Amino acid sequence: MKWLGLGLVAVGAFLSAVLLGPAHVPLAGALSSDIVRTLRLPRAILAFLVGGSLALSGAGLQALVRNPLADPFLLGLSGGAGLGAVVALALHVASPWALPLAAFAGALGAMALVYRLGLVGGAALDPRILILAGVAVGAFAAAVTTAIVSLSDAAELRNAFLWLWGGLSGASWDSVRLVALYAVLPIAVLLAAARPLDLLALGEEPARHLGADVEPLKRRVFLAASLLTAAVVAVSGVIGFVGLVVPHAMRALWGHRHRTLLPAAFLGGGALLALSDTVARVAVAPRELPVGIVTALVGVPAFAFLLRRWTAN
Amino acid sequence: MRRWAHRTHLAGLLALAAGAVCGRGGRAPSGPLAVTDDAGRTLTLSAPARRIVSLSPAVTELVFALGAGDRLVGRTTWCDYPPAARAVPSVGDGLNPNIEAVAARRPDLVVLYRSPLNETAARQLERLGIAAAVVRQDRLEDVARAARLVGRLVGQEARAEALADTLTRLVTQPAPRAHTRVAFVVWDTPPMVIGAGSYLDQLATLAGVENVFHDIGPASAVVALETLATRDPDVIAVLRDSAASGPPAFARRAEWQVIRAVRERRFVYLTGSLFGRPGPRAPQAAAELRRLTEAPAR
Amino acid sequence: MDRELILDVRDVAYRYPGASTDALAGVSLAVRAGTVHAVLGPNGGGKTTLVRVALGVVAPRAGTTTILGRAAAAWSRRELARVVGVVPQQEENLFPQRVRETVLLGRYAHLSLWGAERPADHAAVTRALARADVLDLADRWVWALSGGEYQRVRLARALAQEPRLLVLDEPTASLDLRHEMELFELIRTLAAQDGLAVVLITHHVNLAARYADRVLLLAGGRSAGDGPPADVLTRETIERVFAWPVAIAPFDGRPQMIPLRKHP
Repeated sequence: MKWLGLGLVAVGAFLSAVLLGPAHVPLAGALSSDIVRTLRLPRAILAFLVGGSLALSGAGLQALVRNPLADPFLLGLSGGAGLGAVVALALHVASPWALPLAAFAGALGAMALVYRLGLVGGAALDPRILILAGVAVGAFAAAVTTAIVSLSDAAELRNAFLWLWGGLSGASWDSVRLVALYAVLPIAVLLAAARPLDLLALGEEPARHLGADVEPLKRRVFLAASLLTAAVVAVSGVIGFVGLVVPHAMRALWGHRHRTLLPAAFLGGGALLALSDTVARVAVAPRELPVGIVTALVGVPAFAFLLRRWTAN
Repeated sequence: MRRWAHRTHLAGLLALAAGAVCGRGGRAPSGPLAVTDDAGRTLTLSAPARRIVSLSPAVTELVFALGAGDRLVGRTTWCDYPPAARAVPSVGDGLNPNIEAVAARRPDLVVLYRSPLNETAARQLERLGIAAAVVRQDRLEDVARAARLVGRLVGQEARAEALADTLTRLVTQPAPRAHTRVAFVVWDTPPMVIGAGSYLDQLATLAGVENVFHDIGPASAVVALETLATRDPDVIAVLRDSAASGPPAFARRAEWQVIRAVRERRFVYLTGSLFGRPGPRAPQAAAELRRLTEAPAR
Repeated sequence: MDRELILDVRDVAYRYPGASTDALAGVSLAVRAGTVHAVLGPNGGGKTTLVRVALGVVAPRAGTTTILGRAAAAWSRRELARVVGVVPQQEENLFPQRVRETVLLGRYAHLSLWGAERPADHAAVTRALARADVLDLADRWVWALSGGEYQRVRLARALAQEPRLLVLDEPTASLDLRHEMELFELIRTLAAQDGLAVVLITHHVNLAARYADRVLLLAGGRSAGDGPPADVLTRETIERVFAWPVAIAPFDGRPQMIPLRKHP
């Protein structure tokens, strides 16, 4: 029953993303319209992929670091991506793929650094140190970024921050194909980790005794969630709130079993972002709002409502 | 299109009227050489300035246009016109300037671009005993007023008045009918265009060019690609310095091909120095924009 | 007839990385099916370390550990979870769950990667709940349980694994008298009726003496005695290991330790 509801919401979100927009496209001609086929369709699909990936990563990371406040950007990835993008801009790299690639490389660099810092004496990842390392690396990257910006040509780099604030404006069939192909493996790894993550919620030692291979599990989840987030940031900048709130919202409805939570989070995150993007495109047309603002404006009241229901139980 | 001509007409009249009524822009209260700048500050010079530091490229152009170029002792790194300006030593940035570098040039007048940080800089300069004037230069109507202000400070009021008249006439004369529809794209991720609040939009009107995003109020705004596609401009204008060549990077991206002007590679390149600076070259800028849009580069 | 040897730890030594002394040295532990083997000793004596080494969580510096005849290191975590059920000292359940759900987690090692829980798994859960005497709590929220109830639920989860060996680390640490007794009774029943081998780490010397078949006394990482309670828990040994004067009095055929007062 709930799945039916979620499915309907997802389909509805997708359709509204494809059929609604600042440009008026009559319903009859929708499928043959250039705007729909070249712009709206890939953008809607990308919204689902990005939103779903963020929510899935968020849920995985919350289980990994055993902290409900965890979010995909907790581990320094957004700082690293920003730094990469700003360096690419400062060096005036010409290629259209320069920004996304540089952001991706920056995010990966941050991930590697946080991972290295989070390893305590050998192969064990300590989740508490991961969080601290993530905050530190993110802050450091942000500081370097600000330094570069303040020393360089203001206009271009201000525009870099616009990009970082997040948006799906660069969506194309190319980027959809790229993200879809790339994301399959990390998504599969996270979904497969559903049961062991349930065990991890009891603590590392109990999980180990119940049969989970805890160290490889932590590494897999960290790497998959980070790689997924890095790709998402490269393609659409930093879209906050989805990765933090959607898992909690889905928990309020589906409970904590990750076998149902993870797929629900993916669908819910995708639907939320698609809907938010539609609002971002339509609300102040012809201008466009940054989608991260809309996800917060839409997400916060919904989350507050769910929170009240949850604490009332 | 006639709507816009009336609008600019009206704007020009209002600017003149405001100038007359408010007593700003070179209309000195009293004293040897007393002047109220665009931040409402009053400065007094005992004689026309002999050593001027200009912290704004448009002001540098003004100083030269008023025949006081030989008295310029400091400029910003971005002041590149006229060519003679390059011979003047640079004191760094115009926004949030380096006070020590400025003071090292021993000026008796410093002119700054109006922004909150610069107003603080102006106060610091005054504490060092250097007269500092803050000038607003965002729109066409600011240029005439700035000309009169600077003219009074350098003792070239006659030339300043002539220049101001030319610029005012430019604004008040009926604008030509728009013959080309243009979108001014200043950034691609996300797509940003110029709106009615920008100097570039004013130039467009003077040049008989219709900014398809004239309905957007602010100077610039983010729009969706599909909006750009639907508005279907004949030409896309891009700000760029002379070093680059060929179509802009975003022209190669798949999703931008929905826009006819991108598909057909109908681009126009505007140099930042001429088109980004509300200054004495405004008439040339308008003429150049008209010329470029009548025969766009490929 | 000797009962089957489930866990065989021989002469193990272990030192924590960076430590200057061994946490364990020359310790052996042999646990047979249907018996309860208590591990006693003062804090820091190496009890929990012994369990880690015994279950292959860490590798010993010397000595061997075999479980059901196979070296501990040769067992994968998943395989081991099908034969050994552990109730560790601490557990924090981050998310609210119902009792049945949390016991179901014990079936993890029996499930395939993508497959759903089968009727056999649910049946095993029900059986475990019954054996741990918490079947009537099956639909309650875990956070609403009392300390004693929660301990039995954790025991049920371990039983849901359908293990041959049960390891309990200080299971009665925070329980009151009644719940403590009930748990010991339950453990005894599980060993006697279901043939489980049980390793029980506990502070409670007297209850261990009453309920265990064998006792291993650990002090400073070394064995101070391993055998039936009456043999190990002598006055001299206890006074040496616990550094406190005691008297020993028999009860029910088992030695009971009575700590003496120093000041009248």
